[in-house]
Amino acid sequence: MTATLFSPNTLLLDKHADYIAAYGSKKDDYEYTLSEYLRMSGIYWGLTVMDLMGQLSRMNREEIIEFIKSCQHDCGGISASTGHDPHLLYTLSAVQILSLYDSINVIDVDKVVDPFHTLFGVAGLSLLGDEQIKPVNPVFCMPEDVLQRIGLQPDLLN
Amino acid sequence: MHGRVKIKSTAQQEEEKRKEKEKKLKAFVSARDAVLKKRSAGEHDEEALQLTRQLLSSNPDFATLWNYRREVLLHLETLREKDEVQKLYESELHFIEACLKVNPKSYGCWHHRTWVNTRLPQPDWTRELGLCDRCLSLDERNFHCWDYRRVVVKASGVSVEQELQFTDRLIGSNFSNYSSWHYRSTLLPQLHPQPAPDSAPITSPSPTTSPQFHSHRVCEEQLLKEYELSHNAFFTDPNDQSAWFYYRWLLGRAEREEMISCVYVSREGERVSVAFSKPVHAQSEGLMLVLDGQPQQVEWRSTHPRLRHSPVWLCDLPPGSISDMSNEHNLTIHWTEKHTHRDCALYTGCAESWCRDSATNLELFRSELSVEKSSVLQAELQSCNQLLELEPQNKWCLLTIILLMRALDPLGHEKETLAHFQTLKEVDPMRSTYYSDLCSKFLIENTILKMEYAEVRVFSLSNKNLTTLCHLDQLLFVTHINLSSNQLLRLPPHFAMLQCLEVLEADDNAIENLEGLYHLPKLEEVSLRNNQICKLSDLESLASCTKLTRLDLRGNPVHRTAHIESELSQLLPRVTALSL
Repeated sequence: MTATLFSPNTLLLDKHADYIAAYGSKKDDYEYTLSEYLRMSGIYWGLTVMDLMGQLSRMNREEIIEFIKSCQHDCGGISASTGHDPHLLYTLSAVQILSLYDSINVIDVDKVVDPFHTLFGVAGLSLLGDEQIKPVNPVFCMPEDVLQRIGLQPDLLN
Repeated sequence: MHGRVKIKSTAQQEEEKRKEKEKKLKAFVSARDAVLKKRSAGEHDEEALQLTRQLLSSNPDFATLWNYRREVLLHLETLREKDEVQKLYESELHFIEACLKVNPKSYGCWHHRTWVNTRLPQPDWTRELGLCDRCLSLDERNFHCWDYRRVVVKASGVSVEQELQFTDRLIGSNFSNYSSWHYRSTLLPQLHPQPAPDSAPITSPSPTTSPQFHSHRVCEEQLLKEYELSHNAFFTDPNDQSAWFYYRWLLGRAEREEMISCVYVSREGERVSVAFSKPVHAQSEGLMLVLDGQPQQVEWRSTHPRLRHSPVWLCDLPPGSISDMSNEHNLTIHWTEKHTHRDCALYTGCAESWCRDSATNLELFRSELSVEKSSVLQAELQSCNQLLELEPQNKWCLLTIILLMRALDPLGHEKETLAHFQTLKEVDPMRSTYYSDLCSKFLIENTILKMEYAEVRVFSLSNKNLTTLCHLDQLLFVTHINLSSNQLLRLPPHFAMLQCLEVLEADDNAIENLEGLYHLPKLEEVSLRNNQICKLSDLESLASCTKLTRLDLRGNPVHRTAHIESELSQLLPRVTALSL
């Protein structure tokens, strides 16, 4: 590995947080626009990392929630961005974001339940409060009992 | 100056690049807005095809556009004759191929191609198979292409035999082909199935035959050929993991039977503890407790609040129901979800009783590799040892040898196993924690086996470099445990499954967390000298162990806490012998 001589041996958490906090404002960036088809997941990935670093408050919660609301379609599914088609992947990402923000009810929960019938769907159902399904951890998107069994806990990076 | 070639400065180049990108962005945004506008207006025309083509050519992952394109194509189908439809979709296939060149791993492209083949009046499966061959020659691991290949094979009726030969070719030209080995593992059981042991031979190979009920899924004759194929691969390139993983799959994995492993009854506690073969959620399993022929209404609880899924569950019997020592009782736990049950008899004069299958009989710890004939495992162990002589530092070989030895004779090979783990940690230091944890697991398994032979309830594993604890559900009936001089960091919630524990010795570790010392009803004595217990709150759970009278905390940072002695006597009033 050529990088080892000059690479830092601690995580530059502040820089990572700054990078992610600034990422969302790159509205006139070519690559950013081209990745619009996965925007909802991109937001989720950024938020979950900020949460692990204890810096979730730096993100614009209200703007994100409004964005999610604008992406829910009549069928109950949620799209990656405004004007795109709903998809299971982005419905799950949206549900995960809202779980992080403890705001699951800003969307029509009953409608969302309809399209789910896959593994991702089961995770989504669990986060939406279905009692028949095992609790799922929104950060890892894995059942809590699995995390317990393998002894994996989200460690707050400090 | 005249005659000098003008070289643009870096700043100028940067500016030009920026302008170029800005132009591209503008073009993209206007096309995108035009398309989305057309879509909302419900327009299904040639212009829609042109616009989506333009956008998808540079951004084939924009899934919504493929959706729109399909709507347009379906509409055009209704307006065209059959031969025109054929041409329409053939040109679509060309377009998709161009998009695949931009991103050969685009979900949108492969999905669309699959869809187009369902609309084509005359699909050309030979061409599709050819496309797969070409894509795989560029990238043997492109799983999209492998999946698509499986679709083509199924739709066009290519034989399993032919596909097996395809994997022969790929593996023959390059052993490092994880996807080919994997594909092979799905084809073999179809072509050479293992006949069911007690019933009539399978007439048509069924890919859905559950592997749980067969020790291998492939017939023995073919298996031996596959072992040879694997040997060729890993003798040729011992560092490529594909063949090693395939080899481990061949050696098989026996799934553990789902059952109630142990039932423990205590008269004094008027409590029943049940251990299951896997973690369960008791309230959803249809558990029924029958005492002396009478079903009892009981509430099941886990041993620790953090364990909502657990292999061990407890319930309290109605007060007075088993407290009289002169009475004999018969208890049955029914696990209705799995159609199984376990009985436990509590005899006159006995304060407690338990019933379990021995780990030895169950070959509990052998499920890593299957119940393959030991002669075969022995032969395989020999082959691997031969390779080890040539390649003494090869981690795959070392690990496979360890697994084979454990399948053959875990106790007999213990010394060698430990030596190999030591070598593994030296040759593959990046994974030394994994090896330490795995070694800890095997040592715990061996200690459980030894404990059974000795028929004692004492579990002793001191000075063994233990880095983790596991199989705690197997220690339900243990009364004494010695974990001193190891490298443990915590006694996790699962430790609360040791419902019979009376004495705990865990000196000289690095323990900072005692969550698992929670409501242990018989725990009287705890020694935690020289650990990392730092604050009073680390000891909170001990207050729930109501029989605890002796506690040794010498050599822990917590002794520096102000007023620690008085705080502890408040937290743990029943502890009479406290050492700090």
